Amino acid sequence: MSRRRFLTLLGASAAFAAGSGCSRIDRGTILPAARKLPEAVPGAAVRYATTFSEGLDSYSVLVKTREGRPIHVQGNDLDPLGRGAAPLRAVADVLRLYDPDRLRHSLIDGARTSWDDAVARLVQGVSEASAARHPIVLVTGAMPSPTRRALVADLARVLPTLEHVRWEPVVSDEEQAALRACFGNLTRPRPRLERARALLAIEADPLGDGAPADIAAFADQRRPAAESDAMNRLWVAEARLSLTGSKADQRLPLRPALAARLAFALARSLHALGLPLPAGISADLLAPFEPDLIARENGVPPAQLRALASDLAAARGAALVLVGPCLPAAAHVAGHLLNAMLEADSHTLDVGDARDDDALATLADVRALLERMATGKVGAAIFWGANPAYSFPDEGLVRAALERTPVRAAIALHRDETVSLCSLAFAEHHWLESWGDHAPRPDLLTLQQPALLPLFDTRPGEDVLLTLLNRLAGTATTEYAEYLKERWRREVHAGRYPVPFERFWHSVLHDGVLRRPATPRPTRRLQSEAVATAARAAAQDAPSRGLDLLITRGPLHDGRYSNNGWLQELPDPVTKLTWGNVLSLSPADAHRLGLSDGALIRIQAAGAVLTAPVFVQSGQADGVATLALGHGRQTGGVANGVGVNAFRLLLHSGGPALLRDVSISPTAASVVLPTAQPHQRIEGRDIVRSVTRAQHVRRLAAPPSESEPLTLYPSAAPAQHKWVMAIDLSACVGCSACAIACQSENNIPVVGPEQVRRGRVMHWMRIDRYYEGDSDRLRVLTQPMLCQQCDHAPCEPVCPVNATTHSAEGLNQMTYNRCVGTRYCANNCPYKVRRFNYLDFTGMKTAPETLVFNPEVSVRPRGVMEKCTFCVQRIEEARAAAKVAGRPMRDGDVTPACAAACPAVAIVFGDLMDPASRVAKLARDPRGYRVLAELGVRPAITYLYELKNPPEIPAASDDDPGGTRGR
Amino acid sequence: MTQEITGPESPTPQHLPRFVLPPLDQLARFWLPVGTVAVATTVALVGWFTQPDRLVRGYAPSQPIPYSHRLHAGTLQIPCEYCHSAVRRSRHASVPPVDVCMNCHRVTKTDSPAIRQIADAQATAKPIAWQRVYLLPDHVYFDHRPHVVAGILCQTCHGPVETMEVVSQQMSLRMGNCLGCHRDPRAALPPDSPITRAPDNCATCHR
Repeated sequence: MSRRRFLTLLGASAAFAAGSGCSRIDRGTILPAARKLPEAVPGAAVRYATTFSEGLDSYSVLVKTREGRPIHVQGNDLDPLGRGAAPLRAVADVLRLYDPDRLRHSLIDGARTSWDDAVARLVQGVSEASAARHPIVLVTGAMPSPTRRALVADLARVLPTLEHVRWEPVVSDEEQAALRACFGNLTRPRPRLERARALLAIEADPLGDGAPADIAAFADQRRPAAESDAMNRLWVAEARLSLTGSKADQRLPLRPALAARLAFALARSLHALGLPLPAGISADLLAPFEPDLIARENGVPPAQLRALASDLAAARGAALVLVGPCLPAAAHVAGHLLNAMLEADSHTLDVGDARDDDALATLADVRALLERMATGKVGAAIFWGANPAYSFPDEGLVRAALERTPVRAAIALHRDETVSLCSLAFAEHHWLESWGDHAPRPDLLTLQQPALLPLFDTRPGEDVLLTLLNRLAGTATTEYAEYLKERWRREVHAGRYPVPFERFWHSVLHDGVLRRPATPRPTRRLQSEAVATAARAAAQDAPSRGLDLLITRGPLHDGRYSNNGWLQELPDPVTKLTWGNVLSLSPADAHRLGLSDGALIRIQAAGAVLTAPVFVQSGQADGVATLALGHGRQTGGVANGVGVNAFRLLLHSGGPALLRDVSISPTAASVVLPTAQPHQRIEGRDIVRSVTRAQHVRRLAAPPSESEPLTLYPSAAPAQHKWVMAIDLSACVGCSACAIACQSENNIPVVGPEQVRRGRVMHWMRIDRYYEGDSDRLRVLTQPMLCQQCDHAPCEPVCPVNATTHSAEGLNQMTYNRCVGTRYCANNCPYKVRRFNYLDFTGMKTAPETLVFNPEVSVRPRGVMEKCTFCVQRIEEARAAAKVAGRPMRDGDVTPACAAACPAVAIVFGDLMDPASRVAKLARDPRGYRVLAELGVRPAITYLYELKNPPEIPAASDDDPGGTRGR
Repeated sequence: MTQEITGPESPTPQHLPRFVLPPLDQLARFWLPVGTVAVATTVALVGWFTQPDRLVRGYAPSQPIPYSHRLHAGTLQIPCEYCHSAVRRSRHASVPPVDVCMNCHRVTKTDSPAIRQIADAQATAKPIAWQRVYLLPDHVYFDHRPHVVAGILCQTCHGPVETMEVVSQQMSLRMGNCLGCHRDPRAALPPDSPITRAPDNCATCHR
């Protein structure tokens, strides 16, 4: 091209560009709903009650939909297991619905096909296998759904060779073995934390790993209103630092391999304090467990173990011992013994509320099955919600097993590791698209209903089985929705209710839950032989020579959530690390091995080798390393290659487990860990205040005077409302559900590990975690930190373009279209809560990813500052609704996403101008303080300092009126 | 500069016309005033033609169905909220689904081609793609509810819709339109309204 022609074209294109810029903007079209539906009001949110199920647990939740697409998940007040809060992963899982990596259609040999063709192929293969009397294997998760189980039972009648294997890779085999040995069945009673005055968690993490109701029950006892109110006492004996451990009143170091010995020593101490042993167990059995010796063996001062024993003994009938899933069976047996001595059953352990669990397959069962498959003895295998190619330790065996199985099908949400080994893959609905029912407790049924039409060419997994039934036995329906309703008509309603079935059905659909009369359950009896066997084994136990490795359940569960960017980027509440798992070591061990954060090491255990980065974890017991499950996937655009697959090490026992004598060898390489909080120590400042009960009482008698600093700024004129928040640090356990709910509500982008390393995490709500003291007396201080909506906000006067201003109602407003990105405001913010869009994190997104956005909140472009708005969209919505109703706004009208998601009800939001509002009362609470009040910025958030309830142990002085001062 | 181009050692080939700058005198006397006037005129014209009020007011796209507000809202006196029924339930006033049209048109003017189009849309459950007339700028959230509840007439912002054969945009939706009324809403409100001022916080609309 000549220069002249180039210039001609350049000029022409500039002219055309200028010309087209003069035409009017395309305003698009409005597509009203084709049908007039009572629910379809554009712009109005509709909520549906449905059920989130994961492993053995199910929770009824409310799904908020806008224009027919789910955008937010919150708790259902009627669900006793959630108590109004949804579990963190349920809130985050709305993102997986719109995951672009979802399997969008069925596959035959990896190629796209129609559902009907795939089903026809399966029917043919299964009928052939059945005719040849070959076993047909169905591998699923725990399936706490009665109708699903009825469906499998129906199918088993047609296919006599059907074997149903229920396998949960993150349910501990050891725990199950101990239950079976001690009680002869697998009923798991529900812990009732609200009744426990003394609580001992041995490597257990009920606050990090339990139901929202557990956190609520715990938190309820941590905020005494009056001086006379009782507070529970939480003892934690653990090797790793868990969320529960960070909340403990007293934390004891533990060698997990010797946990059973510690528990038996405790039993002996309790017996010495006059608690009778269960029938059939003699005191001689406990003779080898000399409490003082065993305390020293674990590095616990004997006085502390004695204090623990007397505390538990004094709280008999209101005491509870929880044993973590990763501990060996003997420790679980010892835990059952302790609970029996403390009369926990029917008090703090609700046996009547137990889940009926017939046996889940253990790792050994699955191995036996795969070995049978590898010999070619199995005619057909169907994997439904199970991914053995990832979560079974021996990938080679899975490959061999599947290669020799003629019909291998997977019903899956993603094109996961198992799908790629199967000849048939059925694209399944997400749970928000499906029908279903669940029985989380014997007296509770919950319904699951779709909140939108399917996004892709998917069907419910049940339809595969129903079609099999239909083709093989000629049953009527191939639609699971129909099957479910029919079964409910027949078995649940069954004429027992005074209303006709249709009305009954709609009422249960509306509520989401159905309470049924509980059937009384016989009390269980501890088998003395099991205890004797475990005690004799524990008496012989010696400390490991090498390193003990705890494989723990992580935030990604069994890896099914690993493609969820929200969960990957949610900082672990304790380590504050994002994206991937790490091998945590104690500071002393790391120092001994010359390792620091991010150093890559090779872990060798039972023949398997993994290379993972090291993280030096304060508060971790010496001689113990921990590694979380759920990472190291080989598929998924987000998950692939993030972290290491700890399932590969679990060669002998399934689920969270303890591996003894693991050898680690440093490598020369290292990585930079993507941490959300590079600074760990509180450095003696009183940002996060935590005091003991005794100090609190003294402060009440003589309140310290904290005067407001002088200011030159004029005070704001009183307006009709003043929005403020109160956060009770005593109730907050740091679970981070608020952070995920905020991310979902406010369209907060995921930035990826590289940007996290540069400190560009975008969370508006973060949980700060600080350490105080040395490893022996480590205190963990946790604090939710968000924009404090200061009355004299330092960010406002420095903005050169007035993009951040103050509203008459006390909100520190952010106007995105004014912001030019100077970042002066973030630099001037003492709380470091402002977030800058360094890159265009959302602009490149296309459907289906964009469908998860909340249409009430702007999606911020590159170069714009953002921060917590106190969910101003919810304030404005409540204001409009109040105006339509012709009434003033009332306390409780506005609940920001974080407050709604908090299981502990630690966050309260409201109007300070209403003196009767909950938040106004909390703002006057004697525990209240404001973070960095000395700066005179007048934050709108009142923190209530944490109360701890340490036992009276002599020697150590914890008398420090300044709160957290003195390290 | 001129030296470089016109100098004897210039490499410019002879067959190209030689570019010669006019003398300084001509520049100062003629080109400078002409250039100044031209630039000023251009700025003024561009500014005039692109000012938002001029550009957006009167925008009246043709709709897929020649629906006449003059007939329905004017002559037949159908209340606005009969069709725009979400106005008290959500922030959008909403465009009605074809079911609402067919409430009357199942029996009225069933043989008109436009009505047949609507009937077809109802039968196939395929929505009609109406051209949007009012489009708020980015980052602005407007809620119809408080305004309607306060007694502000639709015509205050949307103009005399009941006289329009084709709906056209009457308000340019600039921030001044909103703020002017929010700071002194009396003209828009019914005479007996107790409201004297509406909020003018940024977060009232921007979030």
